[in-house]
Amino acid sequence: MKWIILVAAGVVPVLLTPGQLTVYVLLGLAAMAVVGLSLLMGYAGQVSLGQASFTAIGAYTAGLLAVHGIPPLLGLLAAPLGAALAAVVVGVPILRLRGHQLAFATLALQLILLSVLGGADWAGGAIGLQGLPYLSIFGFELNEDLEYAYLVLAGVVLTTLITALLVRSRVGRGLRALATAPVAAAASGVPVGAYRLLVFAVSAAFAGFAGGVYAFYVGYLAPGSFPVLLSIEYVVMAVVGGLGSISGALFGAALITLVVQLLTTLATRPGMPSYAPSVLSYAVYAVLLIVIVLFVPRGIVPTLRRRSP
Amino acid sequence: MAELVQYLITGVGVGCAYALLGSGLVVIYRVTRVVNFAQGAVAVLAALTVTTLLAAGLPHGLAEGLGVLLAGAAGLLTGLVATGKPGTTPQAALIVTLGLGVLAYAVEILFWGDQPRSFPGLPGATAGVQTHYLLIASVTALVLAATAVLFARTDLGRALTATAEDPYAARIVGIDVARMGLLAFTVGGALGGLAGVLITPVQQVTFDSDVALVVNGFSAAILGNLTRPGLTLAGGLLLGVVQALAGGYWNTSYQTEVALIFMLVVLVVRAGRLSSVETA
Repeated sequence: MKWIILVAAGVVPVLLTPGQLTVYVLLGLAAMAVVGLSLLMGYAGQVSLGQASFTAIGAYTAGLLAVHGIPPLLGLLAAPLGAALAAVVVGVPILRLRGHQLAFATLALQLILLSVLGGADWAGGAIGLQGLPYLSIFGFELNEDLEYAYLVLAGVVLTTLITALLVRSRVGRGLRALATAPVAAAASGVPVGAYRLLVFAVSAAFAGFAGGVYAFYVGYLAPGSFPVLLSIEYVVMAVVGGLGSISGALFGAALITLVVQLLTTLATRPGMPSYAPSVLSYAVYAVLLIVIVLFVPRGIVPTLRRRSP
Repeated sequence: MAELVQYLITGVGVGCAYALLGSGLVVIYRVTRVVNFAQGAVAVLAALTVTTLLAAGLPHGLAEGLGVLLAGAAGLLTGLVATGKPGTTPQAALIVTLGLGVLAYAVEILFWGDQPRSFPGLPGATAGVQTHYLLIASVTALVLAATAVLFARTDLGRALTATAEDPYAARIVGIDVARMGLLAFTVGGALGGLAGVLITPVQQVTFDSDVALVVNGFSAAILGNLTRPGLTLAGGLLLGVVQALAGGYWNTSYQTEVALIFMLVVLVVRAGRLSSVETA
């Protein structure tokens, strides 16, 4: 099954129209951030409403390095590192918080970040960074959507592999113990704080990498590219697919992106009012999130897996 | 000096609105242990409704009252969806209220579009600022006092408090705990709606103003650990005044950061204290 999906994901970009390729790239970028968020929410048991702040940090890290003449490849590699570093710095104080407190704290951090970026001249202020170069790897410039599609696919495969290895390692077992019984885990010698921080940093790095690719793909960054709603969108994807499940995160990202895209296509047909796309996409996020939390609390993929023999 | 007085008055006015919104969060959290993220959305919904009612020719007072009633109904609906299904944990309910907040975006854009809206408040100026700020403060004082009396002196209020203190014991003495939760959501929604209706004449409202409103309300309430109404009022006033001073003497764009950093510091310091008690 895994291999079929991977081969399909590898073949599909060749068959897509340019507009569809954009959706493919954005889907892949969301999937990377959501795999990280799902790891954080599912294994460390923490609600984060600020995952998009790490996408923003990654994107701005790559973007700022690029406008200062650093080779784009180095910028792209710095993106996840910058995001992970930021996660470690803020994670030390705020990961003591639990539940709704952490939810509001992460949300607050994103609002602070957006406000700082919007007022910072060195980051282009509210207008943002424009005219970013295309990504080039050893002289080969990625200037086609198709090339970004494969870059994103590679990114998704890489984040998935890292997550799978992490989950199966000693750290993963510790985290599982941590999610179900933190006190028992601590008593058995699991370094609770360090593991939580590690997951937070890894999930931030994934989002940061997605942000870095986004910067070079779109070529333009502004604080408005990373609204609070993007963080909420990631939460919807992670919850719908199934928290703590890698395939669930990928499925959730794909499902939500495709459904919203389908509705947007319908809503932008002639004759539809101009507000139709936003109204429909908000309604889809909301209804899917509420229905899944209430009636399929484990998420779609883990629930289906349990049902099928 | 005149400037300082102006900043203090505007700060107190805006802080009162945060305190009202935060008190709504407190009422709901105490009884149900749910943090109602849709509290900001309810405030925006009430404010937008009032713009329409006033445009339709309803007199001031009536329009605002209807807006607050609608907010109460929206609060009740939030409670029904978020806590109506037995076995929903507070964490899941928080995510559901988040979903309801996003659903409110769809409704608000459908009816009111995505442009900022406002309506005139109390006309006139006192000490160089709109008299409306004083109205916000007086209404907040009255309403919070009335809420305190409701909780302390009436049977219904005692039933709510009993549910907040110990749901199991409350059930044993015959209190319908689920109904008390829904009542708390209704009262909380109305308080949020009142905050939205009061603040809109001095701060325009858009469909996505809810995030800033709920974060400020939460910041006010977190000073009292989401359970103490008095500290929530103090927290709201402190936030409002500090924001007004930061905006006045420093830079208006730092207003948000000041409030958010205040909240983070309170949260982190309290968490640090709790965990040191736990390990001791």
